[in-house]
Amino acid sequence: MKTVTLRKEVVEQIDQLKNVDILIGIPSFNNARTIGHVVRAVQAGLGKYFPGYKSVIVNSDGGSRDGTMDVVRSTRIEDQAAILVHHRIESVPVIATPYEGIPGKGSAFRTIFEVADALNAKACAVIDSDLRSITPEWVQLLLTPVLREESDFVAPLYHRHKFDGTITNSIVYPLTRALYGKRVRQPIGGDFGFSGKLARFYLAKDVWETDVARFGVDIWMTTTAVANGFTVSQSFLGAKIHDTKDPGADLAAMLYQVVSATFDLMETYPDIWKKAQGSQPVRTYGFQYAVGLEQVNVNVERMLGIFREGLRNLREIWITVLGQGDFGEVEALGNVGDASFLFPRGLWSRIIYDFALAYHQKRLPAEHLIKSLTPLYLGRTASFVLEMMDTDQNGAEEEIEMLCEEFEKNKYRLLNNWK
Amino acid sequence: MQDFIMLVLEPFREVFTGFKRFAPNILAMLTILIGGLVTARFVRFLLRKTLTALAFDSWSDRMGFTVMMRKGDVWTKPAEVVVRVVFWFLVIFTLMIALGALKVHAVDNLVAQFFLYLPRVFSAVLILIIGYVAAGFLSRTVLIALVNNGYHYAKLLAESVRLLLIVLILAMALEQLQVAPNIVVAAFSIIFGGIVIALSIAFGVGGIEAARRIIEKGATEKKESKDDIQHL
Repeated sequence: MKTVTLRKEVVEQIDQLKNVDILIGIPSFNNARTIGHVVRAVQAGLGKYFPGYKSVIVNSDGGSRDGTMDVVRSTRIEDQAAILVHHRIESVPVIATPYEGIPGKGSAFRTIFEVADALNAKACAVIDSDLRSITPEWVQLLLTPVLREESDFVAPLYHRHKFDGTITNSIVYPLTRALYGKRVRQPIGGDFGFSGKLARFYLAKDVWETDVARFGVDIWMTTTAVANGFTVSQSFLGAKIHDTKDPGADLAAMLYQVVSATFDLMETYPDIWKKAQGSQPVRTYGFQYAVGLEQVNVNVERMLGIFREGLRNLREIWITVLGQGDFGEVEALGNVGDASFLFPRGLWSRIIYDFALAYHQKRLPAEHLIKSLTPLYLGRTASFVLEMMDTDQNGAEEEIEMLCEEFEKNKYRLLNNWK
Repeated sequence: MQDFIMLVLEPFREVFTGFKRFAPNILAMLTILIGGLVTARFVRFLLRKTLTALAFDSWSDRMGFTVMMRKGDVWTKPAEVVVRVVFWFLVIFTLMIALGALKVHAVDNLVAQFFLYLPRVFSAVLILIIGYVAAGFLSRTVLIALVNNGYHYAKLLAESVRLLLIVLILAMALEQLQVAPNIVVAAFSIIFGGIVIALSIAFGVGGIEAARRIIEKGATEKKESKDDIQHL
C-alpha cells in the first residue's frame, strides 16, 4: 500500500510531538471566511473537555488561494473566560499542510489519517471547515465515545429543516440502513469521530487513487466502519448550519457523486449486505433538544416541471432501468396535477433498487444512468414537500421512518436480481 | 442462298457457343450465391442459438460492451449485433466469390479493386462506428443535462446535436472512401454551415417569440425561483 509523502516541515512537527491522544482533522479549500470559527471551536472544545490530553489540529488543505492555512495558523482564543474554563488553556499545536494526490476531500482525509497513524493518535475526529453552527461541545460529543472505548466510529446526528438533506433522507439513509442493517441517520454528515485503530484501517485500504479520493469519502467511511464490524454510534450535535459556497451547484452532479459512491460500495460488500436482515438502532449520545431552524423555500412547481420533462424525454432510459411495470406507475404520475401529486414510498424504494441493479449490470454509462435519476428524485422530493407542508419535524421523521421500512421490505428485489 | 443463310446463322451460333461456354460459369455463380446465402442463414441461426446458450448478452454486460453500445444509442442486444454483422459479412463475401466465378475479365478487375479498396472501407466503417457511438453519447449527455435543467426543447436540441455530428461523421467517412472528395468537402461545408445558419435564423428570427420566452424564462427563474433547499 503506497503511502503519501508528508512535507518536511510536517515530518519535523510530527518528530517534535512524537505521539498524541487526540487528533482533529479539518479538510479545507478556500474556506478562509469560516475556518477561523471552526478552529476556535475545536480549540475551545479541546481545552474545556480534554485539558489533560495531548492534542493536535491538522488542517489538510487543497491548495487554497484565500489564505485559509494562514487563518488556521494564526487563530487563537482571545477570551478564555468566554468559554467558562477555570484553568489556563494551552494552545493546541496546529499542523497546516497542503495534501498530495487527486484533488478532493478523500485525499485531504488520507493525509489526516497518515498524520494520525504517524502520531499514534488514540481518538480522531474530522470536522468540515465551512460550519457556522459548530460549538466546543461537538468535539466532546464526537471524541468521548471513542476515548471511553465504547465506539470506533461516531457519526453525527443533526437537527435539520424537514426539507433539507433530501438526498440523505430519501436515498442514502434508507438505502444504507436497509443494506447494512444499522440505523446511522446521517451517514454522509461529514463530521465524524473515530478511533486510531479505524484510522489505520482506512489508511490501509487501497482506494486512494479511486473516486473515493475525489468525492464520496463520507459514505465510504461510514460504510467501511459498519461493514467491517467496527462499533458504530452517533452523537447529537444540534443544528447543522454551514456556509453554502455555491447555492446553484449542479444537483445532478451532486446526486451522481453521492449515489455512485453508495452503489460502488455495494460492489465491495455484497456478502455483507446480502446477509443483513431488517435494521437495528445504533447507540446515540448527546442530549437531544429542539432547534430553531431557518425557513427553507422550495419551488415545488419547478421540481414537478423537471419531473414531467423527464417523463417526456427520458422514457427510453427509464424503461431500460425500471422495466415496463414500474415505468407504467411513474408514467401515471405524469397525469396528476400539482395539488394532488403523490409519489408513493414503495415505488420510490423500488426505483432506487432498479437503479442500483442497472448500475451493477452496467446497463448504461454510470454518469448518464445516475443523472437520469434527477427528475425522478425531484418528483419524489416535491411529493415529500407537498405531503409534509403542514407537518412538523417529527412528522417528517415519521415519514422518513416509513420510507426506510419500505426499503427494508423491498430489499428482496435487490437480492433476487443481483447476479 | 446457303451462304447467305450461313451468314445470318453464324452470329447466332457464336452467341450460342459463347453462351454454352459461359453457362457453367453462371451456374457456378448461382450455385455459389445460393449455397452462400443458405450457409449464411444457417450460420446466423446456429450463431444465434450458440450465443443465447452462452449467455453472450450477460457477458457483454459484464465486459462493458453493452455500455459502449448504449453510449452510441444502439439498443439492439449485443448477441443480435454480432449475428447481423457475421451474416452480412458472409453475404458480401459470397457475392464477391460468386462474381469471381463468372471469370469475366472486367468483373475480375472489379473484384480485385474491391479487395484493394477494403482497407479504406475498414477505416470508413471504423470512423462510422466510433462516430456513431460518440454522437449518441454526446446527444444523450445534452438530453439529460437539458432535462435536468427543465428546458422544454431538450429532445429537439439533443437530436440537433446528433444530426450535426452524424453529418460530420458521414463527411469524414466519405472522404476516407475517396468518393468525390472535393464535392464531399464542399457539400459538407454547405450542409453544415447551412444547418448552423438555419438554426440561428430559426431561433433568432422565425422563433423570435420562442427565443424571447426561453431567455425571459431563464432570467425569471434565476431571479425568483431558486430553491433554498440543501439537497445534501
